[in-house]
Amino acid sequence: MEKKQNNSMSPYWQPLPAAFALAGIIVFIFATFGPPASSSGFVTTLKGFLQAVAPDYAAAKEHYRMLPGPGSWLMTFVIGMAVGGFIGGRTSQNRLDDVPVLWRQRFGNNPWLRYGATFLGGFLILFASRLAGGCTLGLFMSGTTQMALSGIYFGALIFLAAMITARLVYGNTGRRKTND
Amino acid sequence: MTDLMLGLFSGIAFGYVIQRAGATNPDKMARGHLMLDPAIPQLMLLAVAFSSVGIIGLQAAGVGRFSVLPISLVATGLGAVIFGIGWGLAGYCPGTCWAAVGEGRMDAIFAFLGGLAGAAVFAHFHEQLIPVLYLPTSLGKMTLTDLVGSNILAVVILVAVLLSGVWLIGRIWDAD
Repeated sequence: MEKKQNNSMSPYWQPLPAAFALAGIIVFIFATFGPPASSSGFVTTLKGFLQAVAPDYAAAKEHYRMLPGPGSWLMTFVIGMAVGGFIGGRTSQNRLDDVPVLWRQRFGNNPWLRYGATFLGGFLILFASRLAGGCTLGLFMSGTTQMALSGIYFGALIFLAAMITARLVYGNTGRRKTND
Repeated sequence: MTDLMLGLFSGIAFGYVIQRAGATNPDKMARGHLMLDPAIPQLMLLAVAFSSVGIIGLQAAGVGRFSVLPISLVATGLGAVIFGIGWGLAGYCPGTCWAAVGEGRMDAIFAFLGGLAGAAVFAHFHEQLIPVLYLPTSLGKMTLTDLVGSNILAVVILVAVLLSGVWLIGRIWDAD
């Protein structure tokens, strides 16, 4: 069950080449479409669902009116992200844990506790993104690359809040040398 | 139709790269937040620095479409703090969530469902929340260029700050 974690055998790309690749894609997106976004893709998905089951509600709400529906760049972009994640996962060797290592060391192996936490986390990040107008990609990265103060302000605060939250959630877990 | 194909292609490339960089792994993300692994925070800052230089090139060539969001001191700030709490708790952000679902992570599927619920709740209360939280403290679509008076200078300052951040993260975060 337990396997040795060895960072020198990391299955992942180093930050520098990965950042070059990511920046190339971001610039391509600006050239061929406009500022990329991903939290809006959740609204687009909901809009498509609501247009089918409650068209009057979808038409009445400003938040659904202001964003494109399923037949849009945004929809195929987020679907593409899932496809890209699938391809990346299938063509590389990295373990998928239902309960991540650090979480298991802190809270044990109960998957439902983890799923409950990620559901709550997912709720918070999307509620907050829609309030602020975008997420890590749509507000911080898209905005900051265009010099937007909204992106810089958002980016600084999300890092700060996430680092404090992670300390509160995990305590000293991971800092202790574990021999698992 | 072209737009749909471009979106799909861009999404596949983006999702593939963030998966290969480890950004879809919530354990690696948490180690980044806990200052134990510098990779993801460095990746994000470097990607923004390189993109901002690329965008200068696009703008010089007159290619592409650009638009920024307004800054609202309360809504952008409060949104960022709530976002950071969720990000620190789950280890997913909205973009990595899509890619991690594709990768087959069970906990990402729950983050995705929670995300749909969070977006739906906000959309329901949009008409009540935006006039109270967003509009009163909105300063408009301000940019660093507006503050320093020159776009090139703004990019130079931004890239210098971001690269300093990357260097500091490399010094302070201990990958053990």
